[in-house]
Amino acid sequence: MKNKTIFEQLINPFTRVAGWQAFGFGLIFVILMGFLGAYNGIAFDGLIDMHMMDLSLLQSFLYLGIDLTSLVLVMWITGLIVSKNFRFIDILGTMTLAKAPFLLLAIAGFFTTAPDLSGIYKDPYVLFQSISFITLIVLSFPVMIWSITLMYNALKVSCDVKGSKLTVAFIIAMLLSEVLSKVLIYLFV
Amino acid sequence: MLPTYCPSCQAQLKVKCLKCESCGTEVNGSYDLPVLALLSEDDQQFILRFVKNSGSLKDMASQMKLSYPTVRNLLNDIINKISSYETSIDTDLRQS
Repeated sequence: MKNKTIFEQLINPFTRVAGWQAFGFGLIFVILMGFLGAYNGIAFDGLIDMHMMDLSLLQSFLYLGIDLTSLVLVMWITGLIVSKNFRFIDILGTMTLAKAPFLLLAIAGFFTTAPDLSGIYKDPYVLFQSISFITLIVLSFPVMIWSITLMYNALKVSCDVKGSKLTVAFIIAMLLSEVLSKVLIYLFV
Repeated sequence: MLPTYCPSCQAQLKVKCLKCESCGTEVNGSYDLPVLALLSEDDQQFILRFVKNSGSLKDMASQMKLSYPTVRNLLNDIINKISSYETSIDTDLRQS
């Protein structure tokens, strides 16, 4: 029973935390991600993307800022379409906190060595030279699923939408956010 | 808790008899239950809390240790239930 409650809180903390409080917590996670990402060479260059590359602190925060702006903007517009009464701060707070799982990948970067990918077209197996890199890729899947689940529940709680309306709105909003973040990254970073 | 649905067929119950405890007079008929009485015990508790907090969802959220949108969503659910009860009562009245 207790484990079930913990699991429920991990996938939907927004029944207890939303608004400014969620934004505060989320911001702490995002700032840590920005610093650790720059230090460990992990770029969060898309809504649910992560790549290993050399990047400056400014780039790291630009990527995260663009990701978050795209997500919040698109989810807010989605909220205006599908819901009658909701607060912008709830969308901002819950969506910011929904990015928190990616901190795990930024931390995992401490223990990850990127393989030399220069000869990947000749020998694709070069990817498997680094066990830590493979581990990071494997870890990224549950982290992505966790984050997407959080975003889904964030929209559900913030805008009070349910059922197929929620599912359809969320899928479209996710796709649009991803496209918008990629376009903005291409234009500004 | 006042029973509002038939335990046998789940249809909505009606009040058949009311009795004065003072003189023993009984009033018989077929009266609809008030809409608020049709709500579940949890929903009724929520409404009582809402009134006691002067309608402040923010205060209720902190009391219930829930987020503001969650409390607002619970209120929306109750509003929807009340609307559907009222619609079904209106339909019954038109049919009778």
